[in-house]
Amino acid sequence: MIWRRHGRDMLLVTPFFVLFGLFGVWPVLRSAWLSFTDYHATDEPNWIGLRNYAELFADERFWTALANTATYMASVSVIAVLLGLLLALSFGSNSRPHQAVRVAFFLPAVAGGVGAISAWKWLANSEAYGLFNSIRAAIGLEPARFLGDPQWTMPVLVLVGVWSVLGYNLVIFVAGLRAIPEELYQAARLDGASRWQQLLHITLPNLRPTLVYVSVTGMIASFQVFYEPYLLYGAVETLGGPLDSALMLVTYLFDRGFRQLDLGLASAAAWVLTTLLFGLTWLNLKLVGRER
Amino acid sequence: MKWLRLPLWLLVPAMLLPYYWMVAGAFKTVAELLRQPPTLVPQAPTSRNFFNPDWVGTTADPDKLAGILQVQVDGHGFLRFYANSLLVTVVVTVVSLLAASLVAFVLTKKPFPGSRWLFRALLVSMMLPWEVTIVPNFVTVAQLGWINTYAALLVPGLAKAFVVFYFRQAMLSVPDELISAATLDGAGTLRIWWSVVLPMLRPALAAIAIPVAVGEWNNFLWPLLVVNDAATLTLPLQLGKMAGDLSFNPQSAAVLMAGSLLASLPAVVLFLVFQKQFVAGLQAGATKG
Repeated sequence: MIWRRHGRDMLLVTPFFVLFGLFGVWPVLRSAWLSFTDYHATDEPNWIGLRNYAELFADERFWTALANTATYMASVSVIAVLLGLLLALSFGSNSRPHQAVRVAFFLPAVAGGVGAISAWKWLANSEAYGLFNSIRAAIGLEPARFLGDPQWTMPVLVLVGVWSVLGYNLVIFVAGLRAIPEELYQAARLDGASRWQQLLHITLPNLRPTLVYVSVTGMIASFQVFYEPYLLYGAVETLGGPLDSALMLVTYLFDRGFRQLDLGLASAAAWVLTTLLFGLTWLNLKLVGRER
Repeated sequence: MKWLRLPLWLLVPAMLLPYYWMVAGAFKTVAELLRQPPTLVPQAPTSRNFFNPDWVGTTADPDKLAGILQVQVDGHGFLRFYANSLLVTVVVTVVSLLAASLVAFVLTKKPFPGSRWLFRALLVSMMLPWEVTIVPNFVTVAQLGWINTYAALLVPGLAKAFVVFYFRQAMLSVPDELISAATLDGAGTLRIWWSVVLPMLRPALAAIAIPVAVGEWNNFLWPLLVVNDAATLTLPLQLGKMAGDLSFNPQSAAVLMAGSLLASLPAVVLFLVFQKQFVAGLQAGATKG
């Protein structure tokens, strides 16, 4: 009966769900299992209990990666959310100049990728002819080793991170601002509310869902940062850059899993990362998303 | 808040700086790249970073280096990598969108016992970060013997759960009456999807196609894992290799800037043409998500 009514429709979606099962569901179960094994890509995996997790938490590099990732995520999220909001409030109209400004900010979201990061690498070149160092020279400073001195790693990464996500935040905030009914502002103006009062009592409370969305997605994305530090700092042997100052969680996972072929440990790292992401999202929803 | 706007205007040139420097660098001569302070506009624009007529193969002479179009890796050149990226982007975007829209249509308008569970499975998979699947997927692809093949680049990206969800929202605008009318006329599910649903979903297709395509075009980590043979190398991989080179000297940087410019161009053009759809797609995700 079910077959006669729905059989053809079920057949139509079968190819999709076969692929989804093979590359979307099965790997989830398999990585959970592998995280408790000593799998090294060649021999059959053997169950070793929690040893991968113990090794992970005992590894100093893991904690370095976690600390770097947390610093990066917090800095990028806070700066990009505040600046994105400020930009949306300033350049949110439909006038031509404002639209053009938004395009400029949004460009990295589209034409980011390896090409743009290469351009950043060229800008931040440690040699005296690099543009950043030329600017330093113009104001009388010595050349800095932006890509070689661990002190500079985080500022450079955060700068590039904010640069790439800012336009996205701006566009989402503009949509959120437009969704606030104009009548609320009209009523407030009739009551003699100043612009600041309007911002505090109408704009921000009504923008809360957008704020939650932007900060949650932003934090999740920056927590998983990989190719920016990899390209800017990941030289041949030391993926983490100078003194591991650019070592992120995903870089660590990549290094242990695909360079040292510690696939069991890499799976454990992936599940720790997932747990941290869930915790982070939950915290964020609790703090920012509280009911008014 | 007018006073606030002034410093914000200054951010605009800062945002564009990497692109500007990429374009400027791509057209500078080696001598000019070393000049201090640097020139803001190429004084003697050259196309040598793209194609160097004096190229003689391996040499230490910076004037005789290969332009980006002459760069060869095991007998395959830049255009091959470009074509590989284009192939992956087009195939994955077209197939994944068609498949996802069909699945969303069947699950919402022609539900069958268990279809709600399929939706739930899709939702759960969307909540998990991709790191969880990457190790087993690498193992699967290796066991299938797909390393260094197009299959490794294409197949795992074809079933995209988030696109199904996106189309589920869009499907709300397709009236049920239209579907039942077409069914009464004797049209099958496939036919209704193709001639009724897809035309109605055109704006939604355009809106989601762009982020999907851009994501594929810029995809870096997955190709890095499954491809290292020159024949299947994609553009970001080749540029990443060139950027990762420790000897980041001005000559190779200029060639890299030329390559980066060529790699960024399609995305920029696509974006400038389809701006409205692009922004609409993002905002739809934000307000409904």
